[in-house]
Amino acid sequence: MTAVIHASNLSKWYGNVLGLNDVTLDIASGITGLLGPNGAGKSTFMKLITGQMKPNIGQVTVRGRKSWNNPVLFRDIGFCPENDVFYEEMTGWEFVTGLLRFYGYSASEIKERAAKALDIVELTKDKDRLIRGYSRGMRQRVKFAQAIAHDPEIVILDEPLSGLDPLGKRKLIKLIKEFKSQGRTVLVSSHVLPEIEALTSEIVLVHQGKILAQGDIRFIRELIESHPHMISVRSSDPRALAARFVGDRSIQKMSFGADGRTLVVETHKRDDFFGCLTGAVLEGRIEVEEISSPDDNLQAVFEYLVGK
Amino acid sequence: MMNTHRAVREVFGFFLSLGRKTGKTRVFALLGLVPVILAIVVRVVLHGRTGDMAAVFTEILMVFFLQFYIVILALFYGTSVVAEEVEGRTLSYLITRPIAKPAIVLGKYAAYSLLMFLMVAVSLSLSFFIMNAGRFADARLYLTFLSYLGVLGLGILAYTAFFSFLGTVLKKAILVGLVFGFGWENVIQYFPGSTQRFSVVHYLKSLLPYRPMGGGGGGVALLLFRLEPTSPAIAVLMLAVIAGVFLALACWVFRTKEYLYEE
Repeated sequence: MTAVIHASNLSKWYGNVLGLNDVTLDIASGITGLLGPNGAGKSTFMKLITGQMKPNIGQVTVRGRKSWNNPVLFRDIGFCPENDVFYEEMTGWEFVTGLLRFYGYSASEIKERAAKALDIVELTKDKDRLIRGYSRGMRQRVKFAQAIAHDPEIVILDEPLSGLDPLGKRKLIKLIKEFKSQGRTVLVSSHVLPEIEALTSEIVLVHQGKILAQGDIRFIRELIESHPHMISVRSSDPRALAARFVGDRSIQKMSFGADGRTLVVETHKRDDFFGCLTGAVLEGRIEVEEISSPDDNLQAVFEYLVGK
Repeated sequence: MMNTHRAVREVFGFFLSLGRKTGKTRVFALLGLVPVILAIVVRVVLHGRTGDMAAVFTEILMVFFLQFYIVILALFYGTSVVAEEVEGRTLSYLITRPIAKPAIVLGKYAAYSLLMFLMVAVSLSLSFFIMNAGRFADARLYLTFLSYLGVLGLGILAYTAFFSFLGTVLKKAILVGLVFGFGWENVIQYFPGSTQRFSVVHYLKSLLPYRPMGGGGGGVALLLFRLEPTSPAIAVLMLAVIAGVFLALACWVFRTKEYLYEE
């Protein structure tokens, strides 16, 4: 494996808050998913790669060159930041063409590249509208467009799918996968496991500034399967519902919420439980008002994985 | 990587285009109408009389431009060269491009300076020629106008460089800038001896056409009073040095400092 991005003993802290802790990591071409809960250090890592921050200890190199204060690198890097921030007074077209000016292209090439990038993200029709008036999904897409407009070999995407509707997500996922098929390197972060899963099987698990694991996504899937899920069901008669579940082997524990209308179930087999719940509702004519999973997020899974 | 000269030009174009559209520019352009309105009011009150009174009120306008308008413009535009990118978190878009960081500071400084100069030029020319409407045949009028415009232009360059530097090093640069621009500058220029030379406005005033007290300006000439003016050549040189040094410092700080967004 030839590492495109190499981090060695990389540490970064903000005052006395640790952002990244002794990270040594190689990222090869293809898509790598950076997976971790909010505040895990994903954005810090990406900012270090893109030279926006200086490591306190260690170093990060892209194609063998340090990224801090090395603008030469950015001809080959496209970065899509996490923050929903723009030059709001600009139109989508002005934003993308304006940033393309910094690559030394001719005026005609700038127009050509901007048109292509905006076409890829399906913003051609809205390119002359002010970004201020864009929907969240459109803003995400124009942010993506500025990251790919110069045709970079390495694309760093910080939470690119956040705020997109399912259709928008699917389109962007398809686009990112095309980058992989063109032999490029894509590093994409998310705190939502299914998003990363849809993009790649190569993941890096980050938690509290440390790399917990790196490799195939299947192993974390297995860990998640062994993690007991809590499911909260609010219904008109939670006790009647509980009575129907008592004999079900998929359920490990049950308790009632303080409001008297909620049944909280703990299970290792979520799919089996939902099958059982559907049956119970249909047979018992029990009205279910809401089903939620208080710990169905990466934070809970990570806390489970690190033994909290 | 693009050469620095080209990069500065591209950044200049980007921010000149953006700067024209911001709410800040609209507000400050409106502020520039104040002396124009004042000039119209004075002209109406003077009933077309020209001469000394017009000259006096022109000096009053210059006080507005010199000690308020260009200072407040330079303060808000200068500090924002870097600070608005950090506060707005748009810095990531700029520093992940293949251009040297100093080019960002220089290009944005140049774009904002031109923008401010245009605002000042429009406001000064309107108010000046309204005030001196009866003297269009006098060639000295145009020379005076050009010297005023030149002084204000130099003031913009020097103040903006200083405030740009403040914006690169301080989080609350506006506050420090306010104290400097309306505190230090207003007080120190009236200190006798060499102390007054530690203010930018001292060099700007040294370049203005001198109207001695008791002359045509009467007591109002006190507004542009100067103690011991520096010679024009030295004053221009000092203003150029102030602009150059603080701009160089701003570039150096921006290149070496790591900017973190507030969470």
